[in-house]
Amino acid sequence: MKSEVSIQHEPNASTMHRRQVLYGLGASIGAIALNALVNIEAYSGDHNAVDDAGVLAPRNGHVAAKAKNCIFLMMEGGPSHIDTFDPKPHLQKVHLQEFTREGKQKSAMESGKRYYVQSPFKFKKMGQSGADMAENWENLARVADDLCFFRGCQVDSVNHPTAMYQMNCGNRFGGDPAIGAWVTYGLGSENQDLPGFIVLPEVSYPQGGAANWSNGYLPAAFQGTPLRPKGSPILDLAPPNGVSREQQRANLDLLGALNREHHKQFPWHDDLEVRIQNYELAFRMQAQVPGLLDVSREDQNTQAMYGLGEPLTDSFGKKCLLARKMIESGVRFVQLYHGTWDSHDYIERAHGNLVRAVDKPIAALIRDLKQRGLLESTLVVWCGEFGRTPDNGVRGGTAYGRDHNPNAMTIWLAGGGCNAGHTIGATDELGMTAVEDVHPIRDFHVTLLRLLGLDDNKLTYYHAGRFKQLSQFGGKVIDKLIA
Amino acid sequence: MPTSPTARVTAFLTFFLTFWAGGLVLSNDDGEVLFVRRILPLLQTKCLACHVENGVMEGELALDSHESLLRGGSSGEPLIVWGKPEQSPLFLAVLRESEVWSAMPPKDAEKLTPQQMNWIKQWIEANAPWPAAERVEEIRRQYAQEWKAEDGVQVATSGGLTQEWSNRSYEPSGLWAYQKLVKPQANSGKKLVEGSAAIDYWIEKRLPPDLSVAPACDAATFIRRASYDLTGLPPTPEEVTQFQDAFARDSEVAVADLIDRLLESPHYGERMAQHWLDVVRYADSSGFANDYERGNAWRYRDYVIRAFNRDLPYDQFVRQQIAGDELEPVDHEAIIATGYLRMGPWELTGMEVPKVARQRFLDDITNSIGECFLAHSLQCARCHDHKFDPVPTRDYYSIQAALSTTQIAERAVPFLETENRGGFQEESYLQRKLLECQDTLAQLDEQLLTNAAEWFRKNEKDPSLWERTLSELRDKTADSDRIFRDLFGKARTALGRSGAAEDSYPPKLVGFEPEQFGLERVARKGIERLQWELDRYHEYAHAVYSGPTPRLRAVTAPLRMSATASNDAEQELSKILIGGDPFSEGPAVVPGVLSAIGMLGREAISESVSGRRLALANWIVDSKNPLTARVMVNRVWMWHFGLPIAGNPNNFGSTGKHPTHPELLDWLAVSLIESGWSVKQLHRWIMCSQTYRRSCVHPQFDELVRLDPLQNSYAVFQPRRLTAEEIRDSMLMQSGELNLEIGGIPCRPEINLEAALQPRMVMGTFAAAWAPNPLPADRHRRSIYVLRLRGLTDPALEVFNSPPLDFSCERREESTVTPQVFSLLNSEASYKRSLALANRVLKEFKPEGKTPSDVERKQIIHRLFKMVLMRQPSEFEVAQCVMHWNNTARMSKDSKVHVERPPVRVLREAIEENTGERFSFTETIYANADFVPDLLPEDCDEETRSLAEVCLVLFNSNEFIFVY
Repeated sequence: MKSEVSIQHEPNASTMHRRQVLYGLGASIGAIALNALVNIEAYSGDHNAVDDAGVLAPRNGHVAAKAKNCIFLMMEGGPSHIDTFDPKPHLQKVHLQEFTREGKQKSAMESGKRYYVQSPFKFKKMGQSGADMAENWENLARVADDLCFFRGCQVDSVNHPTAMYQMNCGNRFGGDPAIGAWVTYGLGSENQDLPGFIVLPEVSYPQGGAANWSNGYLPAAFQGTPLRPKGSPILDLAPPNGVSREQQRANLDLLGALNREHHKQFPWHDDLEVRIQNYELAFRMQAQVPGLLDVSREDQNTQAMYGLGEPLTDSFGKKCLLARKMIESGVRFVQLYHGTWDSHDYIERAHGNLVRAVDKPIAALIRDLKQRGLLESTLVVWCGEFGRTPDNGVRGGTAYGRDHNPNAMTIWLAGGGCNAGHTIGATDELGMTAVEDVHPIRDFHVTLLRLLGLDDNKLTYYHAGRFKQLSQFGGKVIDKLIA
Repeated sequence: MPTSPTARVTAFLTFFLTFWAGGLVLSNDDGEVLFVRRILPLLQTKCLACHVENGVMEGELALDSHESLLRGGSSGEPLIVWGKPEQSPLFLAVLRESEVWSAMPPKDAEKLTPQQMNWIKQWIEANAPWPAAERVEEIRRQYAQEWKAEDGVQVATSGGLTQEWSNRSYEPSGLWAYQKLVKPQANSGKKLVEGSAAIDYWIEKRLPPDLSVAPACDAATFIRRASYDLTGLPPTPEEVTQFQDAFARDSEVAVADLIDRLLESPHYGERMAQHWLDVVRYADSSGFANDYERGNAWRYRDYVIRAFNRDLPYDQFVRQQIAGDELEPVDHEAIIATGYLRMGPWELTGMEVPKVARQRFLDDITNSIGECFLAHSLQCARCHDHKFDPVPTRDYYSIQAALSTTQIAERAVPFLETENRGGFQEESYLQRKLLECQDTLAQLDEQLLTNAAEWFRKNEKDPSLWERTLSELRDKTADSDRIFRDLFGKARTALGRSGAAEDSYPPKLVGFEPEQFGLERVARKGIERLQWELDRYHEYAHAVYSGPTPRLRAVTAPLRMSATASNDAEQELSKILIGGDPFSEGPAVVPGVLSAIGMLGREAISESVSGRRLALANWIVDSKNPLTARVMVNRVWMWHFGLPIAGNPNNFGSTGKHPTHPELLDWLAVSLIESGWSVKQLHRWIMCSQTYRRSCVHPQFDELVRLDPLQNSYAVFQPRRLTAEEIRDSMLMQSGELNLEIGGIPCRPEINLEAALQPRMVMGTFAAAWAPNPLPADRHRRSIYVLRLRGLTDPALEVFNSPPLDFSCERREESTVTPQVFSLLNSEASYKRSLALANRVLKEFKPEGKTPSDVERKQIIHRLFKMVLMRQPSEFEVAQCVMHWNNTARMSKDSKVHVERPPVRVLREAIEENTGERFSFTETIYANADFVPDLLPEDCDEETRSLAEVCLVLFNSNEFIFVY
């Protein structure tokens, strides 16, 4: 039996605690990464097989894993479940019926004169499983049987950034590690030359910004690395225009010579060696990263399948294709952003366009993963930060849309051992609140970790006086979501 | 479920029973005692949260009575097999090795200790007696004295939510921070030592036996260390030389004089404020969805700088920040100080319930006061009595009650003589932006009126009422000097109010194209955002006042005190909120303090509207309060050694690291109070000590590693990496570009251009692009003055661990990651500093710009080393650098580095919210039209450009980045 985990046994020297040494974006070297490892070894539970290979070395999870990797499709802004995957025919009967809501427990958004709004979209039963989908998911409908819909999730926040933080990091107020950070902390990554957790944001960063892919209190190695869709994928990856690679090499040679001289005086100071090696790694990465983002070598059919070259789908199609490439290269966790789905008004037009922009790319991603035999080991998650209301406020006239709704939403999973072909949970007849298989977001997080072979109760990190975890205070696995 | 334990478990049990837990089976009486003493408390603390009858019942299992234990849960099996722990599910579950019974408690971090497991085993062996309630009480009474002595100490508090919590005992070592402050006597050879000598005395006391200490560092190392520590800036080569001379004459005097000089420097306050702002989470914006700018937060930042510079006694510093408005109602400085209470992220959008947002503010300041001044993370007690420390939920809400009349406001406070009002003319750029937004809305209004006419035609509706309404509105607003009159919107409102059918007039934003939807929103929200920014140049302070709580719906413009105070406000009644939920009120509380410490002989905090905060602040800084002085000296110590005495400066509870040198901590704390809370005096004591003056190099390194594995003996000085701000400030200073002006509105340096123009979503629109100050001198101010937006940090600062702004930072991280290389080696900023440094040094030698001779080249390299690294280079280093300089000149003959100029117009692309379609708009950055670049490559000759590459290498060197 292992010795008990207790704060008195905290092993790390105080100076080590804050010097989280990461070697490169992904790779680590020998003892130098030890400082970060000490923390991992102490707190990631029984499972860790951390050795000299580094903080991102692949590790076994706590339980048998269904999935190895995860692609997380974040539909930022809050997609409407009522207009996508959770039909509410009853709304046709009450369409435009007005009512008033007031009270101390209501926000300005919820209060005042309101009216119900029926969905402008028609629904159909899709696939053998008869999944409910709005008709405009033309491509996704063809992989309907690969999806597991979940209608029971509830969140705690009605504002975008706080809800985004909660979906991404478990904690509404940000500052905690994102799921991708936890997963790479638990499992490491297969490719040591790339970050284990990559984010493909929109050109404009979502509300709440980079804290959505933060490493929080985990070592810096687990931070999500955003690859910017325009300009330089990583800031300052290349030197200013006009500086040749030859010049850079010469600069680094001089730097190496000076640093080695200096190191002779302080041979015990490990950080010096880390910095020396870091410059060499950076020099190599400058050449490697652009290749990673090159989709031009994919064949024409593949490009067309993802909708590349078509104005509506090109942007998200490229992200989906890159996600597949990254998973193939052994990146553990890829998060894609699309938005904004915040359709307060004109939902037919807005959601119509948004669905068109992602339908083809996402369907292609699932088909492509499947044909390459990667879907079984790759968990795909589609969600927003909350759902939307069946009613809308009267704000200067009728413009059919929907407000934010923390009590009902649709999330779907694909691949990775999820219960494909099933719809779990249900909302009430208006779509106002979840009523069957109702679970707080922490249960959903615990379930994601479980599919990836991680036990949320073991995947903890000691910080600010207590062991912290993604679910905050523990949660339940939603068994029905697992095949 | 199958019941037979697997072979693995059996094997484990054999081991367990044979080697560890053998012994006699207890009698029934002893079993009962064991139950009361150990088993019942274990069930209560570890199990009942999830397994209680009529409450949460995981697995349909209850553990709150003997019957339920025997009944078992969903498996249908009893949890206990009489006398046979190895067959009892309860025991197998806590052992965590069974494949049949899930490990309990589920969290690894909460698993039972071997001793606790053994208790359960012994209890089951004794046939698991569960005596009746009366018998339990009888046993408790019988053993009360004995157990109390064994358990540690009880702490009297205001009382927990349960009796068990109130009666629980604490390991005495975890209560170190509550112990009365007594000055330990440093008796060295029967002689009482004071000041720096006392510090050395306490350090030596705890030095591992046989471990020698490192010798004192040399003069150059010391002045660099001391200058960075007290000002965040490197010394100049001249200062180094002067100090070396003085040090050679009399090192003690030289050191004391240097410290006095540095403490008198106005940059001392900047450096200390930088530390303090980390603790209080200073930012110039509100965070969350809107991330509105806090135009006047800078006045609080400058207050902190002034406070440190004039050595404002720490107790007064605390009082002013918590209750300056109540302490000195007519003192403007004191009102500005209360900006402290506004530092957390906060907003109220229309989507949030106002009471929830109000509660978020109260929770934020309650916890902040706990962390900053008392090193107690009070939020743990928001939902339940503190799990480890004697802080009941009642205390949390009592402290909050002392804050429940605290209201936020941008208060009218005239500018002070001491405030720097430079640069206010930049307001004109914002005014132009405002005009532009109004102009856009006016044009769109015209467009809507055209579309409306078209709508009437197309739908064959009668436009006469609409047109009549419009013409009335036109007459009414004819004299208006407003550009945007919103005729379309006003006409719709008028018709709506008149009761006209909704389909008899055009819908809102009729006929807009995606582009126009987008433009309308960007302009409208742009005006809303500008109100916050424009506040910066006006005489308001980001502050608080005491009063009843105003009714707010959404806060989209700066809150004025007059507006909020008159609104139908309500006096908040303070109650315990069950589970922290503002809508589940529990018992009422009165304003109070941490009850484990008590009132310290002070009167109870009154329930009047005003004066509660002041009473709380006075209690915090009472010289008898055991926490406050300890907390501050611990921080100051860490600011010098990189290592705090008590390892978690924001957590002095039992889960925080205990002090490595408790006597030293207490000696410093009492001395601080005795000095009249003089922080400057504290620096003198610390920095004149031998401990502080030690070298980073230990002569017997292997011994050091063996005897001091945790590196906390202070036998050697620990080097540290420069902070993000020190790196930037040092480069600017050495390149000769740094503007050393003190205080004033935030500055905006050039940041990575792609990051500056990175579109950033805020509620309903995009935040404005980062616009650098047009003039180099305004850009090149110290980093503490850089505009700190929660939603956009300068990536170059962030990558070197400038802390996130939403949480109190007790201690900076020091990570080493590859993006730091990209930033420091590849960024235009680094290149520009290098070029300016090269230019500066060459000008010193060759003002007329002639090519330097070989000898001069060596001298120039010498000078560079003196400026950047504060020492003479070796011959090897000179040769390498000169060679690099020459080679670069050859290599880069035909290529010139190209530095980009920030654009005036930026095309922005995004998905429009109303339509879900892509749209683009052009943002004009007016300040960029007047942009005056820094020294550019094209302004320099080839010698300079080539030498810049050498400078760049020096700025990237380890020696530059670390302080020894």
